[in-house]
Amino acid sequence: MSFARPRVLVRLQPRLLISPRTTAVRSAVLAHRLLSSSTRALAQHTQGPTRSNSPDALSSGLGKSLHHVPSPETVYDAQGKEVNPYKDGPSSIDKAVHLFFFTEILRGMWIVLENFFRPPYTIMYPFEKGPLSPRFRGEHALRRYPSGEERCIACKLCESICPAQAITIESEARLDGSRRTTKYDIDMTKCIYCGFCQEACPVDAIVETQNQEYSTETREELLYNKEKLLANGDRAEAEIAANLHSDHVYR
Amino acid sequence: MRTVRSIRRVGLREWWHQMQYIGDAKSGTYMGRDQFGNRYFQNDNPEEEIPGRHRWVDFAQHDFNATQVPAEWHSWLQHIREEPPHKDPVMMNSSPPWKAPWIENLTGTRGAYRPYNTVKTKISAWEPKSAPRA
Repeated sequence: MSFARPRVLVRLQPRLLISPRTTAVRSAVLAHRLLSSSTRALAQHTQGPTRSNSPDALSSGLGKSLHHVPSPETVYDAQGKEVNPYKDGPSSIDKAVHLFFFTEILRGMWIVLENFFRPPYTIMYPFEKGPLSPRFRGEHALRRYPSGEERCIACKLCESICPAQAITIESEARLDGSRRTTKYDIDMTKCIYCGFCQEACPVDAIVETQNQEYSTETREELLYNKEKLLANGDRAEAEIAANLHSDHVYR
Repeated sequence: MRTVRSIRRVGLREWWHQMQYIGDAKSGTYMGRDQFGNRYFQNDNPEEEIPGRHRWVDFAQHDFNATQVPAEWHSWLQHIREEPPHKDPVMMNSSPPWKAPWIENLTGTRGAYRPYNTVKTKISAWEPKSAPRA
């Protein structure tokens, strides 16, 4: 890229920037212009009177002086009629297209060649992984208190707020009198990972962990029950707590 | 250039190992090793590694799997935590004594999770009881 672009400019510049200075070189320049063309060379003389030339129209010398362009030398044939010197040659569009498309191929191949020697941008999963937010909502987990007591108090706020109705809770009083869930099922095939359950939870019991690699071979493995959710929490507790700690100032 | 530099740093044997697994020659500082023997590396120099590819893991097992990375290292590998877990004070303090050992995703094996009901079923089949005859 960095090498190719100046070369294209160098090829274009001599043709575009030459302007006739003297009458001696003018014929040579004209011959040169038969091979190349510019937008100015395409301009043609209008035959009839233009609007600005008519005596009725208002005209000012301002436009002429501001946009003064020296007209190219016109060529006349034996009858004194004006001859278009570019009549027989290829049109300017043809030449521009040839130049552009040919250099386009070279420039494209140069970019390919450059990137061949560059390190690939591909993140080689699972060896390398992309960045993830501590608020990422992945696989669910039920947490425990540091004493090992499970946090969930079966208030059923998550069950009621769940827009996909993926959570099913049944509760019962335990022998020591505390209310705990006996059934906490999450249908992970229904879950839309909106994170409402972890926001509704008053005791931070249900959380969505950063684990996103829990794909299964069968559908029934995604119907999580309470034991599975607690096991998820037991395994990833350090990561969950660290994420909550890094985010606690915003809560 | 980068490949040659990496080969010179890690050696031919390690380079061959990398080409078999990561498929790219990488060199960086060794950050640590988890309980399974997976090794973790980092190279923060943006001239040497594309940012975003600067942390990587070298799995201990041949049959590697993304879930073989335990949760603490997972949060380092996914750029959630700045420091590796053995240098991260928050991660070390938030590790409870009842933490369960990490197991990888066992789907497709005999250890795969099978859902079961955790409560007594509300509907049960009729089990006839016959009173003993006299």
